[in-house]
Amino acid sequence: MPLSSLKPKMRPHSSLKQEFLKKWIMGLQRCSFSKKNMSILERKKAIKFSADIAMASARNGTTCWSRSLISNASKEGSDIHVVEQILGSESDRPAVENKVPTRRASVCKKIVKRSCRIRRRRRRRKCVASAPSSIAKHLVRKRREVLKSLIPGGEFMNEICLIEETLDYITSLRVQVDVMRSLASASVRASE
Amino acid sequence: MELNAGAAGTGPHKTASERDEVAALESLQFTDEIRRLMSAPATDNASSFTALLELPAPQAVQLIHSPDSAKLTAAPAPAPNVDDFKGSFHYPFNSGLIERAARFSVFTGDGNINEDNKSNSPEPTSYNSSASLQKPVKSEPAETESSQPLVSDPTVENRRNKRKDREKVKGSTKKSKTAAKESSDDAEKLPYVHVRARRGQATDSHSLAERARREKINARMKLLQELVPGCGKISGMALVLDEIINHVQSLQRQVEFLSMRLAAVNPGIDFNLDSVFTAENGSLMDSNFPGMVMPMMWPEVQLNGNRQQYPPQLHFNALQQSVWGKEEVCNNYITPENSLLSYDSSGNSAPLHSNRLKMEL
Repeated sequence: MPLSSLKPKMRPHSSLKQEFLKKWIMGLQRCSFSKKNMSILERKKAIKFSADIAMASARNGTTCWSRSLISNASKEGSDIHVVEQILGSESDRPAVENKVPTRRASVCKKIVKRSCRIRRRRRRRKCVASAPSSIAKHLVRKRREVLKSLIPGGEFMNEICLIEETLDYITSLRVQVDVMRSLASASVRASE
Repeated sequence: MELNAGAAGTGPHKTASERDEVAALESLQFTDEIRRLMSAPATDNASSFTALLELPAPQAVQLIHSPDSAKLTAAPAPAPNVDDFKGSFHYPFNSGLIERAARFSVFTGDGNINEDNKSNSPEPTSYNSSASLQKPVKSEPAETESSQPLVSDPTVENRRNKRKDREKVKGSTKKSKTAAKESSDDAEKLPYVHVRARRGQATDSHSLAERARREKINARMKLLQELVPGCGKISGMALVLDEIINHVQSLQRQVEFLSMRLAAVNPGIDFNLDSVFTAENGSLMDSNFPGMVMPMMWPEVQLNGNRQQYPPQLHFNALQQSVWGKEEVCNNYITPENSLLSYDSSGNSAPLHSNRLKMEL
């Protein structure tokens, strides 16, 4: 996993910011080229969308969350050209290929979840966990589920993978926020 | 070097080390990634363990579990006896290892087994006496040291008088012996890493694997704790996960907010950052990255058209960069609302210049 940007003081490397910015601008231009006179909400969506895809593509398919983010984005027909623009024709293929396994995996996951739910109902009637360790485990499990829902593609990860992905995702989000904030502040100043 | 590493250590490391008070040997199977880690420059900032031995236990443990290196060494549970491992140990206090730490499936600091083999082989007699005298409860400083020369341990254990150790070792001697041969042949490319089980714990393969998995998870959680601000002091998985979740959610919300703000500021979503990628500005790319960002509000669709038309842009950039660089430094953790206010109040000269230049162009 490319945590080369991760230093003890946790400062994202400027090269990552540059790369993200480049791809983001490319995506934005592609968006603006296709649609003109967008409403504010459309613009916001386009901005955020391009930013997310740019961030994900900066990882070059090395992390699970980036791949799932790109594959989810590729599902929508309207915005797929933006994705292609940012990724380039070569790297888009592996992202598309991941679509099919995730669908199957999601179906399998649903079946497993249903069976687990049935089991859980039976168990709950039997015993209310009074032991502190089981309560702690229950709490941790709940939070892990929440984290899975936050990270894109998190449902398909085991614990170890989830934590690694979270690490990477947090650094990428920080880079994204930094760049967007600086761009926003700069554009505010320029418009004054 | 060691002091620096020690200062960076955090509280949660102590609890992990306290648990790792020791008994018998185990062996674990490792992936190719760990071999790469072994062959990595393990002796860059080598420091002797003999110095660690003299330190008080918790401090030494802190040094061992410092963020730079402990990620790699926390996973293999330490061995009991201090005196088993007299001699110079070299420890990979490599700051670059923190990167690899998150990449690899299991952490270990056993890249030093080659050197430790040599240092330990002339000291077989010391094991006997030390083994009989010393209890595994002691010697926290040596806990992770002992993970290094584990190759010689199978031979050592046969001489030990401790019954418990023998019983525990029996189950794992098969693995460890076969592993020992391989590891002695090629210590740097280690297929097995010996991990000491805690006292009174089972040594069957299931619990071993579980323990290894838990160590992996704990090591990564430590990384996460350091990444997320304010998490280092919290002990307890649930609370730490809470903080992480809050952090991720806040970051996502910030992205949403900022994208809305960007959409509000611009009539179109074109940002002309052409000047950002010119050669001159490349030299200014540093941690104060925002100084580089120069959106122009002209509704240009094509990027290339501007280059020829507006050469004075570069001059314009240089003027504003210093101002923006200063401002952004103090605004790292300010919410977008606050930053808006701060930008409005300070640095009034720069916008005037920009307006003038716009007029000229």
